Amino acid sequence: MAKKVRIVLTLQLPAGKATPAPPVGTALGPHGINIVEFTKSYNEKTADKAGQIIPAQITIFEDRSFTFVLKTPPAADLIRKAAGIDKGSATARRAMVGRITKDQVREIAQIKLADLNANDIEAAMLQVEGTARSMGVEVVG
Amino acid sequence: MREPGGAPVPISEPDPFAGLSDGTSADGAWLELSVVADPEAVEAVSEILSRVAPGGTSVEPAFDLVDDGLGARVDATRPATVRAHLPARDRTAARAAVRRVREDLGHLQAFGLRPIGDVEVRVVLESDWAEAWKRHIGVMRIGRGIVIRPSWRRHRAAPGETVIALDPGMAFGTGLHPTTRLCLAGLERWADAGLVAGGGADGGPARVLDVGCGSGILAIAAARLGAERVVGVDTDPIAVEATTANARRNRVARIVYAREGSLPAPGGPFDLVLANLIAGVLVALARDLAASLRPGGRILASGIFIDREVEVREAFAAAGLVVVERTGEGDWVGLDAVRVA
Repeated sequence: MAKKVRIVLTLQLPAGKATPAPPVGTALGPHGINIVEFTKSYNEKTADKAGQIIPAQITIFEDRSFTFVLKTPPAADLIRKAAGIDKGSATARRAMVGRITKDQVREIAQIKLADLNANDIEAAMLQVEGTARSMGVEVVG
Repeated sequence: MREPGGAPVPISEPDPFAGLSDGTSADGAWLELSVVADPEAVEAVSEILSRVAPGGTSVEPAFDLVDDGLGARVDATRPATVRAHLPARDRTAARAAVRRVREDLGHLQAFGLRPIGDVEVRVVLESDWAEAWKRHIGVMRIGRGIVIRPSWRRHRAAPGETVIALDPGMAFGTGLHPTTRLCLAGLERWADAGLVAGGGADGGPARVLDVGCGSGILAIAAARLGAERVVGVDTDPIAVEATTANARRNRVARIVYAREGSLPAPGGPFDLVLANLIAGVLVALARDLAASLRPGGRILASGIFIDREVEVREAFAAAGLVVVERTGEGDWVGLDAVRVA
């Protein structure tokens, strides 16, 4: 059955600094998408958010055209900010690099609820907590 | 050279670089790491991959088509594929990175997240994607004399041809989809019948409305075929930008005006309406579309999936729009209708 939408995908990219290199080129090129037009528009729309990771959810149509919407930063970014750390632990099991409170988890889950694949706040919190722990960030309180 | 969809190399195999033949420069080669993950673990997997791939990650969620396929709804219950890429130039570093990702992912389940799949690794070459998309797209002829030219192709216009320069890009409408082609062909028939250059109520050039203007392809074609004024509306701001940019590129910026929103559009009623939408929207907007037309004005409705043609015809009839011509391509139908009284 002929359909207009070909695929939906989300690229997590540095705001204002997307380039045609992977993952952009490898995700869009094979679908016949004008890579430079995407990066130009993405960078324009995210220029004021430099330093953050801003995901773009892209819908690609059968005629090789596309459209996209910006999403909230990844949970990992929000966790890093809340814990005041630069990056996750290299060995999460052994080294804890920071901590966040249950309230901060709830706050992040609230921000992410619309975009996260979760049906309620409890499920969203579970995802945020799991992500935090895998980064070596302890959840306390 | 490998196809972009080449078979993944399981991580357990000794060398993910085996796909590169001897002497192939690893410049422009990337290692693609992909993991199928439960939606619950997507954020965590993505974070782990991003530790070795600073350029970012991509997530392909499962989705269902909605609105006759014009839209998609992400399914939060089915697994998604997370991908990341690292340069393959330094093979030792790349191998170490893959090992590290595998190890970090191995710890994930200890953190209360549902299971994820194995890491799959394959080599992708820049030549597979960087300029590859352009090869698929050539100069397109639609109807008798409308030509869509991508900016990187040359075309010498023959007498009577209307050439529109348009790159596939943001917003729907590149001429590669049947619904757009049906509309362009219908527009050309109107032009041949004198309805565009002389379809105004006073016999002058027509005033045209393009509902859901997308890339602006139809609005630009109408302008090039002799319309006096073309108003485009679209609920997607990206489409409004695309229409404005493409109108400028085709030197019809003084004729084509695009605005974010829906009906009623400013500057009506119009002599001609172009509505390359979908059946559901055409049904919902039938009365507003009719109200946008002057009595005796014509509408081209496209984007109608064949199973829903009857629905659209009924809604049009109820709104005082009488179908005078029907065209089809594949499973798609275009209707040309006139507003009676």
